[in-house]
Amino acid sequence: MSTSIKEFMKPLESSGKRLYGDLSKSFKRYLKRTRFKVGLAITVVILLLALVGPWIVPYPDEGEGYVPPEASQREKQPPSLKFLFGTDTRGRDLFSRVILGARSAVLQITTVISLSLVIGLVVGILAAYFRGVVETVLNYLVELFISIPAVIVALVLRLALGPGLPTIITSLVITWWSWYARVTYVYARSVMEMDYVTLARLSGLSPVKIMTRHVMRNVLTPVLVQAVTDMGSVLLEASTINFLGLGLPLNSPEWGVIMFEGLGVLEIAPWISAYPGLFLLMTALGFSLVGDTLREEMDPRLRRRWRLWF
Amino acid sequence: MPISLNYLLKRTAWIFLVVVGVVIFSYMAIILSPGDPAVKWAGNPRGPNASLAIELARRELGLDKPLFIQVIKFVADVFTGNIGLSIAYKIPVFDVIMRRLVATLELLFVTYLIAIPLGVFLGIRSAIHRNGRLDTVLQSLGTVLANTPTFWLGAWLFLTLVLLGAYPYGRVDPKIATSTGFHPITGFYLIDSLIEGNLLVFTNVLSKIIPPAIAISIYPLGVLIRLTRALASDALLEDYIRASVAWGVSRSVIIWRYALKAITPGLVQVIGLAFAYSLVDAMAVEYVVFGREGLGSLLVDSLNYSDFRLAVGLVIVVAVFYLLVNTLTDIIQALIDPKVRL
Repeated sequence: MSTSIKEFMKPLESSGKRLYGDLSKSFKRYLKRTRFKVGLAITVVILLLALVGPWIVPYPDEGEGYVPPEASQREKQPPSLKFLFGTDTRGRDLFSRVILGARSAVLQITTVISLSLVIGLVVGILAAYFRGVVETVLNYLVELFISIPAVIVALVLRLALGPGLPTIITSLVITWWSWYARVTYVYARSVMEMDYVTLARLSGLSPVKIMTRHVMRNVLTPVLVQAVTDMGSVLLEASTINFLGLGLPLNSPEWGVIMFEGLGVLEIAPWISAYPGLFLLMTALGFSLVGDTLREEMDPRLRRRWRLWF
Repeated sequence: MPISLNYLLKRTAWIFLVVVGVVIFSYMAIILSPGDPAVKWAGNPRGPNASLAIELARRELGLDKPLFIQVIKFVADVFTGNIGLSIAYKIPVFDVIMRRLVATLELLFVTYLIAIPLGVFLGIRSAIHRNGRLDTVLQSLGTVLANTPTFWLGAWLFLTLVLLGAYPYGRVDPKIATSTGFHPITGFYLIDSLIEGNLLVFTNVLSKIIPPAIAISIYPLGVLIRLTRALASDALLEDYIRASVAWGVSRSVIIWRYALKAITPGLVQVIGLAFAYSLVDAMAVEYVVFGREGLGSLLVDSLNYSDFRLAVGLVIVVAVFYLLVNTLTDIIQALIDPKVRL
C-alpha cells in the first residue's frame, strides 16, 4: 500500500522543478521588454563595479577613506580630468569613493536580503504548517518587528554596539525578515490547503520533507520575486541610516555617508552629494525595474492589455 | 457600524502586547550588548559625579535583581511614563518626544495633502490612457519618484531655494513669531496661527513646511501613481461601469465618481502603509536638511549624547504610531468598504 502511495506521489514531488524551468524559459521573453533591459543593464553594471571596483579606480586608498598628506591642498575641487567627480571635503578623489560605494551597496543588499529571506521563509512556513500556538507566537513576533522601523532599531544598536557593518546589517535584518515571513505565511497557508499536502501527510511523509518539498517549492518563487523588488528599498533604507550617521562609520565608502559629508558644503561643492545620490537612485531604480517586470509576468492580471472603450 | 466591540478589544490587547514586546526588545539591547548597562543607561557620564550617576542608573534599572524582575520593572516603568529624564534635554523623555512628534505629524499631514490628490489624479489619467504615451511617461515617472532618495532631493530643494533667496530653515521665523506675539497652543503651528488669526505667521510656517513636504511626498506620489493606475484599470472593466455607460452617465462621473469610489479601499490600505513608511523619510529630512525640530532632531541628539532613554522612548512611540496607523487603516477600510467587517 505504502509503495503505491509513494508512486502516486512521485509526479507531485518532482513538480517543484517545473517552476525553475518556467523562470529560465521566460527569461528570453523578459528580455524583449525595455524596462527589464534597462533594469538589468543597470544592475549588471553595478555588480561589475562592486566586483572590480578597487582595480579600476585611480586612487583606491583614498576611496577606502585614507587621507593622503598632500590632499589638504586639493579640498573641494570641482570635477576635472584628473578628478572625474571632483574631490571631497578632505581632498580625496570623489570618483574613487563613489565607485567603491557600489561594493558596500551590493554587500549590504545581498546580506540583508538573503538573511531576511532565510529567516522569513522558515518562520512563515513553520507558522503555516503547525498552526495553533506556534502560529500565534510567530505571528506575534512578525507584528512586533514590522512595527519598528529599521532607523530606530539602528539607533538603539548604534548606541549599544557602536558604528559598523554589523550594526546596519542587524538593524535591517531585524525589521525586514518580518515582511518575508508574512508573505511566506500567506502563500504557505494556501498551499497547506491543497490536497497533495493532505495526501503527503496521510502517506506519512515527515513534516520536514513536506515543508521543504511541497510548501517551500511552491512559495519560493513569489517570495524571491518580492525579494528582488525589495532590493532597491533595502538600499535606500540602508543609505538613509548611514546618512543619519547610525550605521557605517564616517569616511567609509558608502553613498549615504558621502552624501552626509557633502551636505554641509552643499553650496560650495554640490558635486559631493550629487554623484553618490545619482548612483543610489540608479541602483535602486535598476532593482525595482527588474523586480516589477518579474512580478507583472507572474501575475497575469497585471499583464492584460486593453484600451478604454468609452 | 461594521466594526464590532470584539474587534476593538482584541486589537487593543494585541497592540498592548506588541508594545510590551517592543519594550522588552529594547531592554534586551541594553542588557545584552557589551559593556556595563548602567554606564550606558547613564549616558557614558564623565567628570566628578560620574560614579554617582552610574549608581543611580543601576538602581533605576534594578540590575541587582533577577533578570525577569528587571524586565517587569522596566515594562512597568515605561507604561507609567517613568523612564527618567532625557540626558540630552534634562526633561522627561516622553514630554520631549510628544512635543517633537507634533512637528513631524504636521509635516506628514501636509505631505499627504500634496501626495494623495496629485498621485490619484495622475494615476487615473494614466489608467484612462493605458498603454499610451502619457501612461508610459507617468509610469516611468512614478518608478523614478518611488526610488529617489528623499534626503538627496531634499538637499537639492534646499540648495535651490537658498540660491533663489528664500530661507526654508526651521519651523517658523523666530523674528516674525516674536514680533507678532505668536504662542503655540496645540503645537501644530499651522492650526495655532489660524486660531490666533495670525496670517503673517501662517504664511511663514506654510512657506517653511512645503519644501520638506515636497521632498517627502515623492515616495507616496510615485507609489500612488503606479497603484492607482493598476487598481483603476481593473475597476474600469467592471460590469457596473459598462452599465453606467449604457445608461448614458457622463464619462467624468463614471471615472471620478464610480471608479474612484471602487478603488478607494485599495488606496486607503496602501496610503496607510506609505504613511508609516514616510515617518522614516521625515526623520531623515526634517532636521538634518531643513533644520525642523521634529523626531529627526531627537534621533541625532540621542546619538550625540549617547541618550539611551531617549532612544528607548523613540522606539516605543514610533512603534505605537505604526500600530495605530495600521489599526486606523483597517477601521477606515471597514467604514468605506461594505465587503469588510471587523
